[in-house]
Formats: sequence, structure tokens, C-alpha cells
Amino acid sequence: MAVSKVKQDMPPPGGYGPVDYKRNLPKRGLSGYGMLAIGVGVMCFGYWRLFKWNRERRRLQIEELEARIALLPLLQAEQDRRQLRMLRENLEEEAVVMKDVPGWKVGENVFHTDRWVAPLTEELFNLRPREELLHKRFGFLWYV
Amino acid sequence: MPGSVEVPTFNDLNVEEISVSSAVLKGAAHHYGSQCDKANKEFMLCRWEEKDPRKCLNEGKKVNECALNFFRQIKGSCAESFTEYWTCLDYSNLAELRQCRQQQQAFDSCVQDKLGWERPNLGELSKVTKVDTSRPLPENAYHSRPRPEPNPVIEGQLQPAKHGSRLFFWSW
Repeated sequence: MAVSKVKQDMPPPGGYGPVDYKRNLPKRGLSGYGMLAIGVGVMCFGYWRLFKWNRERRRLQIEELEARIALLPLLQAEQDRRQLRMLRENLEEEAVVMKDVPGWKVGENVFHTDRWVAPLTEELFNLRPREELLHKRFGFLWYV
Repeated sequence: MPGSVEVPTFNDLNVEEISVSSAVLKGAAHHYGSQCDKANKEFMLCRWEEKDPRKCLNEGKKVNECALNFFRQIKGSCAESFTEYWTCLDYSNLAELRQCRQQQQAFDSCVQDKLGWERPNLGELSKVTKVDTSRPLPENAYHSRPRPEPNPVIEGQLQPAKHGSRLFFWSW
């Protein structure tokens, strides 16, 4: 064939460079031990932070409980007065209601002992609407 | 025959109560615990020893007086910072003390400057204390009947049973 002056796509002068056809799997990155060490290190850091925060939470909880301890006498005194007031009202109601019943001693002790027996909620709220009794028994519940 | 239960009259129970809500009480609790310590501990000691609320009404009155005094003093000198503190506490449902540290700091410094009260450190309110009272220790707080005498000492030699326990067929 005669050499034609047509522009063709020819290889570069000197031919192409060498083509790498062999396997290329370079060893890179951390070793297994290294990755294990990093994982264990992160876990240890996490545990350390957790323990510190738990101790802090314990301190906060102690603070809240101490607030309750400080207020207990006041609340106990108020509760005592409330109970005794309700017992007194019940006693007076009883005197009014049972005044015509023969042989009824008003305010008779139902036990054979002298000591103070804590009154039952039902006993205290006997003459009040049932709603008050339910509120006293279940008012603090958040769930059903 | 059982007697009647003694219930105190309305006059005895008429005490000036503190009409204050829970966030206020919680906010002032630490200072209240360190200031009104004496009256509180006496009331609790009385209550636990006598096991009878009717016998501790006087101590309860003193607790109330001390608490009223305490709140009057706060109202007198540090009212605004205390109001800010307890409104901040009241904002959340649980009234967590750790959400309101800034206001607590302000209230503490105000109270320390004006009234000289120091907030007790962690753990000081839960320490066990000895209370000095003039009330005598009640003997027989449970009103128990006289205990029966112990069994008399067994005379004579004690031997193991002949032929065993004789329970059904067991002979040992």
C-alpha cells in the first residue's frame, strides 16, 4: 500500500509503555492486632466515661434524697395532724349519728390494747365521698 | 373491756400551717435541714420512741414554728433570688435540682451574704445524730402485757427416745 497522507489514529512514537498484568494486592492499613487494640481502647474509654457519669448521678441522687430527708419532719407533722383531725371529725359524726342506739359507746376502742393503732384509710374516709378515698389511695399513680 | 380511743380536740390540732407548694419546699430543703435541725430531730425522735402521734403534738408545733420562721427570714431578705430559684425548679415535672444550678448559686450567695447560712455539703443531712431531749424515754412504748415467766428448768436426766421417733414406720 502506498503511504497515504490521511490522518489516522496511530500508537505513540516508541510504542506503548509496559502494561502491568500481574496481581496487585498491596498490604495496607492496620494489622488485626491494631484494630483490636483500637476497639478495646474505645470500649475502655466508653466504660470509664460511664463509670464517671454513674458516680455523678449517684451524687445527684443523694442530693435529691437529702432534700427529702430534710423535709420529712414537716411532712410527718402535717400528716399526723391531718389524720388526727379526720379522726376527731369522725368521732363527732359518730356521736351525732349513733345517739339513739342503745348500748353504743362512742369512740370505743375496737382493740384490746392501749397503744396507738394507725387508722386505715377506709376508716378515715368512711363518711366522705368515695372520690376522696380513691384519690388518697390511687392519686399518685401515673399509670393505669 | 376496751376503753375509748383518745383523740385530741380541734383546739390542740389548730396550728398555723405552711401554705407553700412542693417546689418551694424542695428548693429550700437543704437550708431548712441545716437551720431547723434541732426542732426536726426532736420531733422525729419523739415520734419514733413514743410510736404515737398524739404524744408528739407539741414537738410538731415547734417544727411548724421553726419552719414559718425560716420562710419569713427568707422572704425578708432573699425573696427575689429564691422566687427565681423555685420557679426554675417548678418548670420541670420532677423538680430536678441539677437543672437549676445557676439560680441555686445566686440564692446561696445571697443567703450567705445576708443571713450567714451555709448550704450543707453532700452527705451532711443524712448523718445519724444524737438528740439531747428533756423528755424521758417511755418504758413499754408498745403497751405490751406482762411477759409470761420462762419455762421451769427440767429436772432429771434427759435420754434420747427409746425406739426412735416412732413417727409412722421410722424407727430412728
